[in-house]
Amino acid sequence: MKKNGILLSIVLIPVILTGFAFMQQTRITVKGSDTMVILAQRWAEIYMKNNPAVAIQVTGGGSGVGIAALINGTTDIATSSRPIKSTEVEKLKERYNTLGVQIPCAKDGITIFLNESNKVKELTLKQLSDIYQAKITNWQQVGGEDASIKLYGRENSSGTYSFFKDEVIKGDYAASCQTLPGTAAVVNAVKKDKYGIGYGGAAYAAGVKHCVVRKDDKTPGSLPTAENIAKNEYPITRYLYLYMRNKPTGETKKYVDWILGPEGQKIITEVGYFPVK
Amino acid sequence: MFGLLMVAVTNVIHAQVPADTLQEKIISLDGRLNALDERVALNESDLGKLTKIKVSGYIQAQYEYYQGGLVKPNDPVSTFFVRRARIKVTYEAADGIRFVLQPDFATGNLSLKDAYAVAYLPKLKTLTLWVGQFNRPNYEVEYSSSQREVFERSRLIRTIYPGEREVGAKLEFKPLAVPLKLQLAMLNGNFKGIEQLDVDSRKDVMARAVYSFKFPGQNIGIDVGAHGYFGGLMAKTKYVSDYENKMDSVDANVGTYLDKKWGGVEVQAFFDLWGGLALKGEYIAGRNAYPGDSKSNPYKTREFSGYYAYLIKNIGKKNQFVTRLDYFDPNTKLSGDAAGKDVFYTTLTFAWQFYLNENIRLSLNYGIPKNETNTTYPDDIKDNVFGIRMQAKF
Repeated sequence: MKKNGILLSIVLIPVILTGFAFMQQTRITVKGSDTMVILAQRWAEIYMKNNPAVAIQVTGGGSGVGIAALINGTTDIATSSRPIKSTEVEKLKERYNTLGVQIPCAKDGITIFLNESNKVKELTLKQLSDIYQAKITNWQQVGGEDASIKLYGRENSSGTYSFFKDEVIKGDYAASCQTLPGTAAVVNAVKKDKYGIGYGGAAYAAGVKHCVVRKDDKTPGSLPTAENIAKNEYPITRYLYLYMRNKPTGETKKYVDWILGPEGQKIITEVGYFPVK
Repeated sequence: MFGLLMVAVTNVIHAQVPADTLQEKIISLDGRLNALDERVALNESDLGKLTKIKVSGYIQAQYEYYQGGLVKPNDPVSTFFVRRARIKVTYEAADGIRFVLQPDFATGNLSLKDAYAVAYLPKLKTLTLWVGQFNRPNYEVEYSSSQREVFERSRLIRTIYPGEREVGAKLEFKPLAVPLKLQLAMLNGNFKGIEQLDVDSRKDVMARAVYSFKFPGQNIGIDVGAHGYFGGLMAKTKYVSDYENKMDSVDANVGTYLDKKWGGVEVQAFFDLWGGLALKGEYIAGRNAYPGDSKSNPYKTREFSGYYAYLIKNIGKKNQFVTRLDYFDPNTKLSGDAAGKDVFYTTLTFAWQFYLNENIRLSLNYGIPKNETNTTYPDDIKDNVFGIRMQAKF
């Protein structure tokens, strides 16, 4: 009987301890920017490997979706490739009585993707604005072949969509711009379309040509390289952000501190973005 | 030899037949794919129209228990009812142009709350024009009932802005570079929840300005603002009760405009102190006019003042504790026995919110009004109200 008791204890104790450990596991949810989803997943994978007591769940959907989830209380951290809008801050104020916490965690240069066979190598910001507003509709107008320009862009829930609209187009997208879910889809479309043009994060730019971007006619052009982005020489440079409802505490604070620390910042470079520290 | 040749030709023919079939199949599939493309494009176009329509709304079902002073003998002291049941339909016609319609199906109160169109003025995306029936430009009025932390707005706001809405036109300016909001509205000025047409020719004007200070290092935000109301009410009888509650009944009163003029200052401060903490308040004072129709129910002019102050503390992600103190004196010129029925009220309200999930909110609310006492009201009226509410929002 005594032996059975010991045997039962040997079996039950690990089960109980495992169950207890599972109950103790801290869950952090991260939702938002499609541009940042690979980066956020890499951060989560490596952090969880070193911190098994923490479970981090990462999903995309777009910066707007992430911030909406932060407001609804369905995510702990929102990733965003654009700054939070004043209307979103108002919603945070109404529901949580805070302004939210903004943490710039990486830098990115929005890359202009062209098909590898496209003769055009560089464009000014003004030309890009005119192209995406359909004021320039033929590649010949910017030094390319006599062919119609096919526009590819992101959906309006995307932070990249908003950033590109506010900082580059400075107007409304042409109705002919085909919206695609995710930068990878934009890259894929341009890869297949000889006369296509798209934009997105540099981390997704495999298989297409990067267009040199010039601030204006007088400024020399540059590519979204680490050096150019670090020096703010590439004209379409932006921060990538983490947003929280309140000042992070506990495991969330540890995780955010780790992202901003040497290990987290190193992963940014590996993924193809640029560190802030 | 001939036999071998025949076999070879037959083989070639047989080999060509599948190739032709394949070609035909490719053409056929290509046609079908093009047809599908067209159908997808058509569906996308239709769906695109549907995404311009946004439907939201909320239902507030509640139970209230009243202290005896609020009910007549043998009337119930408690009841279940639906306080608000609203469906808001917004149609985004184009970038910056939207139409909003919001009826309310609450118990015994089928009414139209919002019916307005908003449009950016051409080339000025920071300036919007609103026309129709919309909220008056005031902080507590514009703060949605679905989000407000206590059941009802303060007595001050309910008195000077009955029904919250007004019919008219409004310009709203939000510059991109400065955290400022300016509102200027021209309104009928007589809305109480049902009236829609003006009762006199002169339109009332409201103006409001709010500036938001941010201190990101300290996680503090402070909004400060002011608003003014500049209007009048035309007396259609000669009977007017003046600021000191004295009857004035000269014939010249008919057709004169009685002042509806007041101003207010507001502040909302937000702190990240072990979770969100907000302090909000507003003070308003001025002259108001109330309609009448006879000697026994004359037009009234009154000087009034009042304020409200909220303290809201978020506790974790799901809970909120709220307390509000509000004060309203409908006639600052008179007090005590001379005030008659125009006694001042100080109301203390405690509330608790529990957010079950993003759609459901449970609330407890206890309001303790305390009135000025005089010969008309020798004691504090027993008019405390306790309520429990469940709100479903979508």
